[in-house]
Amino acid sequence: MAGLVNDVDKPAGDASPAAMRATGMRKQFDGVEVLHGVDLELRAGEVHALLGENGAGKSTIINLLSGRLRPDNGHIELLGQPVSFRNPMSARRAGVSVIAQELEVVPTLTIVENIFLGAEPTSYGLIRWVEARRQVIAVLQELGVATDLNRIVGTMSVADQQLVEIAKAIVGRFRVLIMDEPTSALNLAETERLFKIVRRLRADGVAVLYVSHRLWEVFDLADRVTVLRDGTRIMTDEVARTDLDTVIGAMLGSKSSLAPHAHLPRPAVPAAMTQGPPALQLEAVSCADVLRDICLSVCPGEVVGLAGVLGSGRTELTEAIYGLRNIDAGTVWLNGVVAATSEPKQALCHSVFLLPEDRKLEGIFGHLDVRENVILGYDPAHNPETPPRERGLRPISFAAERTAFDQMRAALGIRCSGPGDRITSLSGGNQQKALFARAALAHPRVLLLSEPTRGVDVGAKEEIYAAIEGFAARGIAILVSSSELSELLRLASRIYVLRAGRLVAEVATAGASEGDILKLMAG
Amino acid sequence: MLAADSAASVIALIAVFVIFTLLNPRFLTSLNINGVVVSTSISTITGLGMTLIIAMRALDLSVGSIMGFSAIVAAQLLAAGLPLWLVIVLGLLIGAGLGLGNGLLIVLLGLPSFVATLASLSMILGGELLITHGETVTIHNAEFARLVIGNVLGYIPAAVLIALVVFAIIWTIFYRVPFGRHVAAIGGDIRAAIGAGINVSRVTLGAFTLIGLCAGLSGLMTGAELQNADSTIGAGSELTAIAVVVIGGTSLMGGRGNLFGTVCAAILLASIKAGLNIANVSSLYEDLVFGSILIIALMVDGLRRGTRRKGMLVV
Repeated sequence: MAGLVNDVDKPAGDASPAAMRATGMRKQFDGVEVLHGVDLELRAGEVHALLGENGAGKSTIINLLSGRLRPDNGHIELLGQPVSFRNPMSARRAGVSVIAQELEVVPTLTIVENIFLGAEPTSYGLIRWVEARRQVIAVLQELGVATDLNRIVGTMSVADQQLVEIAKAIVGRFRVLIMDEPTSALNLAETERLFKIVRRLRADGVAVLYVSHRLWEVFDLADRVTVLRDGTRIMTDEVARTDLDTVIGAMLGSKSSLAPHAHLPRPAVPAAMTQGPPALQLEAVSCADVLRDICLSVCPGEVVGLAGVLGSGRTELTEAIYGLRNIDAGTVWLNGVVAATSEPKQALCHSVFLLPEDRKLEGIFGHLDVRENVILGYDPAHNPETPPRERGLRPISFAAERTAFDQMRAALGIRCSGPGDRITSLSGGNQQKALFARAALAHPRVLLLSEPTRGVDVGAKEEIYAAIEGFAARGIAILVSSSELSELLRLASRIYVLRAGRLVAEVATAGASEGDILKLMAG
Repeated sequence: MLAADSAASVIALIAVFVIFTLLNPRFLTSLNINGVVVSTSISTITGLGMTLIIAMRALDLSVGSIMGFSAIVAAQLLAAGLPLWLVIVLGLLIGAGLGLGNGLLIVLLGLPSFVATLASLSMILGGELLITHGETVTIHNAEFARLVIGNVLGYIPAAVLIALVVFAIIWTIFYRVPFGRHVAAIGGDIRAAIGAGINVSRVTLGAFTLIGLCAGLSGLMTGAELQNADSTIGAGSELTAIAVVVIGGTSLMGGRGNLFGTVCAAILLASIKAGLNIANVSSLYEDLVFGSILIIALMVDGLRRGTRRKGMLVV
């Protein structure tokens, strides 16, 4: 493998010259270096796949190449000329076009206005709308967007908005196209159309950098592949000369060669708990076009994992169970009864609690202090055996709240100087513990966790794992959705694997390896 | 697209005309006699500027004070013997300059437009009082008055033509010049606008300069019509301007602007006022009626965006 890396250093004048070459790219955030001198070469007329786990540095290098960030060190050449991009616009003008992972369309503008935003064709200062339309019609036909060019983008489906985003990038002239997870919102037919366009662009001599979690796309489309791990380039090779196992091995590094986590002691689920009905059971649950026929069950005291790549429906599934999304078909059983949870309020009545994926946005109340965040919704008169009631206007004694907070602070080890600390002054791990405390006070019987350790440092991770295991030991059924497979293997006894909104596998973690699951996720 | 967005205000306008004409056949002729047409033209001009600001998801509360300031300065310069054309140019420049000042407060200090223009409203008003010592400056210039209230083509006041020209210019800027689309893009999704390479600071400065220019023009026209100027000129105009924009169908959430709707709404409000007047309804009821119309307009806007369902109307 080491020898193949040298391919990149071939002298110029090669049959397919470098359209873009980045050498020694370094970048640090808050004193932590996330990219340790990465080299990347994109040849004209190739599709180059960039792979790596979350946090491997893919987004950072894309941001450096597209002018969103500036490197601390290293330089970029475009067609042999050194370049330094001040902002995304200067990169675009130089011929580097980007399809961003997140939608960057203006919902209130029309399709054609969005596509030319910031680069409107003008004469005498006036926009030439006729010319703009002419340019865009062909591109939209190729993408299969058959609609009025004056349609307001905000009224279109997410997939169509994604196609407008793609159209924005491929209208006009460019030499390098960077695509960051372009297919995450697209269906199979739309993906195929996009691939056809990418192949056409390749034939036209465009250099395409393609980032995707869907490994089959990479093997279908790419000519060469580069794998990053922990901010370092691990391999660059021609796709034809490598295979899925090699690539996955490079992505995971030493972790993949380790024996699976079977050696870890796992608390056995007490037999008594598994005899009753499952605490959470889904039968053929479908949800718009994001979830299809999901069947799963979680017993009291069991920790079950949910794995899947971005856009697989993992987050949507936890949201649907908690009533944040409408379930179109299927049945949800909670603690042995059929439950209709169209609102979180109703889920709470069935003793279901969700710790959301985006802690800052959906979890904590940033302007309140730790105590207030923990006791929010707490009812001291609530008997854990019965569903919670509306607290209404019945007053609560400060003393009772204070006692509850102090208990939780000690039990979960929330580190703060006092109950009056602003929640935002705490570390990510302690914020998350505060949310666990809020959950504990609600006496849940089913706990849904979405990315429970995102933005949490390594030390606090173990404490949160201990808290989760503590919940399970008290007989609470726990469903953990996470993008970190090592976390699921560490916590769960079983893992359900989602792909494109469907449940594709149920894996017992004893004896399973990260590589196996990654393959199931990628399909 | 334009027609559909403006349908509500056009229908309301026709309804008001029909109802008041049925109530009193003198309604239509009374509009001109009472100077309603001139004052409507003036409020249309500030409303057009405000449409761009609201489309950018900002607000300008200082338009009324800018109107007063440019009128007062123009009155004093005329009294000092400067030629009329120069006074008009200087008056417009003062308006644009004050607008640019608002823009700089927002861009350089990072203040929300609401707060920045509330502060400048107070400061500009203070400046007016210092210059005039609280007194009224009279204007004796028949030519200046004729430029605004003089009839063109027989019986159309010149103010209407001025408003039409301003409408044509702002319409072109908003729909046909990249700057206008960038204003809408910033109001629609500022993150996406930045991603598209739009210079948000420059567009913000431009938009506030433009509304300053509109307010300066409105102030000059008011001064010319009244033949005097004091700090009461333009008082309350910011609220009228915001009201006509919202009633005209431009959402306070930004991202889109309905210039034609703004014009319709300005005419609508003025005709209701005239109609109530001629129907012998006490002018004390006017504000009550206008407030109700504003609430209806905001409800329609909320329904259109579907925010009412979630029980919140964030402004």
